[in-house]
Formats: sequence, C-alpha cells, structure tokens
Amino acid sequence: MELGFTLAVLGGAFAVVLGGIGSAIGVGLAGQASSGVMSEDPGKFGSLLLLVALPGTQGIYGFLSAFLVMLKIGLVGEALKTLTMYQGWQVLIACLPVAFAGLISGIHQGKVCASGVYMVAKQPKDLMKPVIMAALVETYAVLGLLISILLLQGINIK
Amino acid sequence: MAIAEVQKIQILAHRGAKMEILSSLQEEGLVQLESANSEELELLSPSSDVSDLEFRLHRLSRVLDYLSHWEEKGFVKRLFAQKPQLDYQKRDEVLSFDYVSIVDRVEKLEAEKNELLAEIRFLEKEKEFLLPLENLELPLKSLESVDSVEVLPGSLPLAQYNEFKKMAEKEALWYEVIKRDKRRLYLLIIYLKKEKDHFEPLLKDLNFASLYFIEPILKKADEKDRVKDVMEKFGEEIEEKRVELDSVENEGQKLFVHREELMLVYDVLLNERDKLFSSRLLGETERVFYLEGWIRSSDIKELKFKLWPYSEGMEIYFRDPLPEEDPPVILENPRLGKPFELVTKLYGLPQRGSFDPTLPMAPFFFLFVGLCVSEAGYGLLVALLSFLIIKFAKPKGGLLQFLKLLSLLGISTVILGTLIGGWFGFPIRSLMILDPLENPLAFLGIALALGFVQVWFGTLLSMINGIKNKIYLQSIFVQGGWLLLLPSAVLYGVPQTSQPVWGILTLAGAAGIVFFASPSRNPFARFFGGLYSLYDISRYLADILSYSRLLALGLATTVIAMVVNTLCQTALGIPWVGWFIAALIFIGGHLFNLGISFLGAFVHSMRLQFVEFFSKFFKSGGRPFEPFELESKFVEFI
Repeated sequence: MELGFTLAVLGGAFAVVLGGIGSAIGVGLAGQASSGVMSEDPGKFGSLLLLVALPGTQGIYGFLSAFLVMLKIGLVGEALKTLTMYQGWQVLIACLPVAFAGLISGIHQGKVCASGVYMVAKQPKDLMKPVIMAALVETYAVLGLLISILLLQGINIK
Repeated sequence: MAIAEVQKIQILAHRGAKMEILSSLQEEGLVQLESANSEELELLSPSSDVSDLEFRLHRLSRVLDYLSHWEEKGFVKRLFAQKPQLDYQKRDEVLSFDYVSIVDRVEKLEAEKNELLAEIRFLEKEKEFLLPLENLELPLKSLESVDSVEVLPGSLPLAQYNEFKKMAEKEALWYEVIKRDKRRLYLLIIYLKKEKDHFEPLLKDLNFASLYFIEPILKKADEKDRVKDVMEKFGEEIEEKRVELDSVENEGQKLFVHREELMLVYDVLLNERDKLFSSRLLGETERVFYLEGWIRSSDIKELKFKLWPYSEGMEIYFRDPLPEEDPPVILENPRLGKPFELVTKLYGLPQRGSFDPTLPMAPFFFLFVGLCVSEAGYGLLVALLSFLIIKFAKPKGGLLQFLKLLSLLGISTVILGTLIGGWFGFPIRSLMILDPLENPLAFLGIALALGFVQVWFGTLLSMINGIKNKIYLQSIFVQGGWLLLLPSAVLYGVPQTSQPVWGILTLAGAAGIVFFASPSRNPFARFFGGLYSLYDISRYLADILSYSRLLALGLATTVIAMVVNTLCQTALGIPWVGWFIAALIFIGGHLFNLGISFLGAFVHSMRLQFVEFFSKFFKSGGRPFEPFELESKFVEFI
C-alpha cells in the first residue's frame, strides 16, 4: 500500500521538477538575451519582460499537475488516501506527459523567445509576432498538461 | 466586407498657396500623400530648413530628457496622467515664447553637470588607487626621489607570499608588508639602484606588480604628506565638487517649470518639420505644384469644404484606383468590432480584393479569451481598470482601442468565469452550468465543438470568397465538399445520431473533393490527386484538436486560484500574523495568476485565430492607410 502512495508523490515531484527545469532553462536563455539588449536600450524592459516570462509557463503547468496529484491522494484537504501499487504507478505515469513535454518545450520556447528578444531590439513595434511564435512551441506543453489532467481525472482512487 | 472605399486625389494649385494648402491637409489628416512621380514634373528636394528644424528638435528632445529627471514618479500617477492640450491654431503663440534661451541654459547646466561628474569619477579613482597604501607612514614624496635607492610599492598574489619570503631571505631584500586583502598582499620593497637588474626579473617571476604614482597624485602631495593625507585631500575635493553639482542640479530643477512650454514647442516644430519634409512628395513647375494621394471616399466632401478658401487658384480631381495601383487599406467596423481590428492588424491587413476578417473573428476571440481565463474576479478587475484609464487618462488611437479590447475581454471573462469558473477561486455553484474540475470531458467537448464551428465557418468563408472571385467549380465542390463531409462524418461517428443518411452525405462530400480537387486534365492524375487531397482530413482533425488548449488554459487558471486560496487557508493558521500573511498571499497570488492567465489567454486565442482560422480563407498583404496628419509626442492637439 505505502509503495503506491510513494509512487504517486514521485509522479507529482517529476511534474514539478522537469517542468521547472525546462522553464528555468528557457527563462534563463531569454533573460540573458534581454539583458544584452537592455544594456543598449534600457527602455525596452517592459516589452522584453513579456518575452522572458513566456517560457515560465511550463513550470507552472508542472506545479499545477503536482497540486492535482496532491488533491487526488489527499495530501491537501481531507485525510490521506491509500493507494494500491498499481494506482501509484498510474498516477506517476499520468504525470509524465506534462513533465517531459514541459522539459523539452520549455527549453525550446526559451530559444524562440531569445531570438524574439533580438528581433524586438530591431523592430520594437513587432512585439507580438515573436510572442505568437513562442506560443506555437508552448502548444505542446499545453497538450501535455491537458492529457496529464485527463489521465489524473480518470484514475479512480477511493 | 468592411474595407472602406478609397479614391485617388490629385490637386493642382498655384505655387504660392503650397504651404497653406499643405497646412490645412495636415490639420485635417484625411489624405495619405504619395510621391507625385511624373516625367513632366520635377520632384522637390527637401529644403535646408528641414535640417535646421531637425537640429532644433534634437536639442529640444535632449533638454526635455534632462528635465524629465524631476518628473513626478509613481506608477498610478503616470497611468492616469493626461497630456497637456494645445489648440493648433495658436501655434504661433507657442513659438513666440523664447525657448532658445531656455534650451541654451539647460544645455549649459547639463554640460556642467557632466563635467563635474567626470571630475568626481576621476578623483574617486585616484583615491581608490591609493587605498592599498593607506597604512604607509612615510611621506609620499619620499617614495619618489631617492638618489641611490629604489623604493618600490607594489603587490603580490597571496599564493606567492611564501616563495617571496624565501627569496627575500636568501637575497637579503628589505621589504615591509603594508596591507593584505583577500587576494593580494601589498608591500614596500627597497633595494639599491645598482641591484635593479638583479631583482627585477626575480620579482617579475613572482608576479610582483609595482604601483606607480601618476602626475595628479604627486601634484596633490606636499613634502610631508603621507598617503593618508593625500587621500583626505582627495576626499575634500570630491566633497567640494559634490556641493557644486548640487547647486547645478538645483538650477536645473528651477527650469523644470518650463518643461510643459518646451513640450508644446517640440510638438509644434515636429509638425512644421513634417510639413516641410512631406513637400518632397510634391511635383512642381514654375507656377504650379501638383500633389497626389489617397482619401477615403466618405471624407471627400469634408476635404472639399476645408479647401474652399483656396479654390480660386486650385483644381481637385478624384478618381477610383486603377487596377494596377495598390491603394492603402482602411478597416471599417462598427463600434464594438473596432477594438478587434488590433488582432487583425497584428496578422496583417487584407490584400486588395480580399475582405476584412475582423467581424467574423471577433465573437470567437471574445469567447476564447473568456474561456481561457474563466475567472470572473480577474475579468472584473481588468475591465474596471481599463475602463478607469479610458475615463481619466483619455488616451487616443491604438492605446484607446487596446484598452477597449481589454474591457470587452474582461466582460467576457466575467460572464464565462461565473458560468464555468469562479470568483477569485471560489465557485458560485448556483450560477454554474458546468464544473470543469468535476467534469473535464464535458468542457473538452465544448472546446472541440467551438473549434469545429470555427474551422467549418472558416471553410465557408473560403468558399464564399472563391465564388466571389469566380473560382466556381473548386469552391463549390471542394470547399463545399468539406463543408458537407465534416459535420456528416461527425454525426455518423457519434453513436446516438448515427444514421445511414449521414454516411451517404459524407461520401457525397468526399466524392466532390476527389473529382474536383486536382486541376489536372488527365483523369487518372485527377482522380488520384483528388484522393490524395482527402488526406487533408488529418489537417482538419489537427486544427480542431488544437482547440483543446481552451480546456487546459481554463483549468490552469482555476486550479492556480484554488492553490492560492488553499495557501491562504494554511497561512491563517499561523498565530498573530496569520491574517496578514494570508492577505499578502491572496493579493500577490491572484495578481500573479491574473497576469499569466491573461497573457496565456491572449496569446493562445490569437494563435487559434491566426493559425487555425485565418489560414483557411484570409490573405494578408495590404498596406496601412497612413494619412498626413498632426503628430504629437507630448501634447494633445485640440
């Protein structure tokens, strides 16, 4: 019984850690690029912040899935639930889509945002275009989140 | 649909009236000037006055930049700040103000300030340079001039100290440690001048770096002054310069009262420059000038009326654009649709012969942002804030439209948030039609259904557009085939509605696509090419599935709001300060969530319009209508 519970917690941890790594790397890439641009033109802070913040969502999606796991297994709210080993594995596996999609898409979204930062440096009026480009990458993190949520919802724990 | 009709305007008038006519065109702001390229006419080159004005504007903008230093700060103040107003007819009054003398004074002050700052920086550097030798009790001058002895202040990396000690012992070298910090050791070394060749390489091997006093330091030092005394002298001088700097800054602050007047001057001169500059687009002969441009058809009457005073020496012609011309595009939408033009403009303006997609897109965008945020409290905040800014700051142009868009989207969020989300994480169950956390599949169904409707609608628009452009067969059978195939395939696939008739209609649609999708005349190529384009079904499927993001983003907002509230509840358990921490978490957490969910909602809803919807029927590539009008940077013209 306890193994099941531990596995579920591990799943939640995976979602947060991998999504967080992806976002951290992504925001880091975009942040470096924007600092470079701001050293020339400090007035761009506001518009660049948008691009730097964009790859941060993967971490939030991971966090959110972990919170749903905690709700599911009773770590938040009512009493702790008992899980069979299979249920534990199920929760763990349900977390994988958001975790891995977040890890990879966060990094790549960061790259798109970093090049978007360079673009905004030259074409300040076209801010929304790189934002949309970055959103194209984020789609896959969103889809990962979606499936993780649906899978978690589908697992029946009494 | 909603692209305004545009006509070419041509004006031929007496040369003497050129500036006056340009002035009234600029004030009306109804005409976009084009280069009057013609073989018979000579194009004017911008006069030298333009560069003179450019130079004045440059100086003014630097001065204004300097004065903005004393501007009132504060985010809220600036958010609601109104621009100063000016009646453009009174521009001569503005220019009669002696701005040149003020500009001169401010420039002088700024130069003085920069000089003082540079001096202070230099003095500080000198002082810093002396810092390691601070504890040296010898007069500084004595380190310089000794006949037969070399006196060498300098430093070593700490790691080399042991080796240095050994060397000094062996060679009987006199030294004294003055100071040590984390990385380096500062020493004073003394040896006979004749031993210089012997010691120099030894010291160099140990990475010894000697310090040399430069001229300004030596000048400062009297015979008896120790390093410490010299540093004190530097300190005093820096203080003096600081006081001077303060008085210069005070002078600058006194001139701040003229800032608004200078702003008025700047904007008036800016428009004078534009006017001179735009005359490069005109053609001219000895007696007449010729001007060409575009005007919205509905504005023609007004323009004629305004130009009436000059009508004696002037002819105006209007005509429809020729087929080979590329007139600028003006979007025309009803009041509620206008803010959504921003989304269209971001993607690009419609090509000539295409139509404005703003109205078909607007309801979807409105709905999608609401679904993605689905948090009524946030919607209320955003709508209220943008409404207040519109009310008090009275913005114009693009900003006004953006704020209007935000308030509309806020309203959408309030409605959908109440129906399927909550108020700051607290659902009002009696008003809800669906709880997405309990029943995410139903929400997913709604999202995909909306996607289906929009993709189908996009295909319909594509068919209508095709028929308008006289591509009958292709539009009716291929686009029409998809329009038939998509819904009937869904109805046939769902067990509750599965009837043979839907199956037959699906096949009928497919047949239309197979036989008409390929333009080839060879029947085999035509058939197989058509069969291949049936494969597009996967594209339609992917497009529709893409709308599932509405569910994911909506859920994300709801869950994060819940998390914030759970954290608040936990914080309330802390004795004494619990309520305070809980309030901080509540405000900070919800503001954070508001920010990221609106950003996500905006971006993803736009993507759905651009990639999934516009790609079906819309071709961008038009150029925007940019009328010759009054421009302002600081002032609002009335």
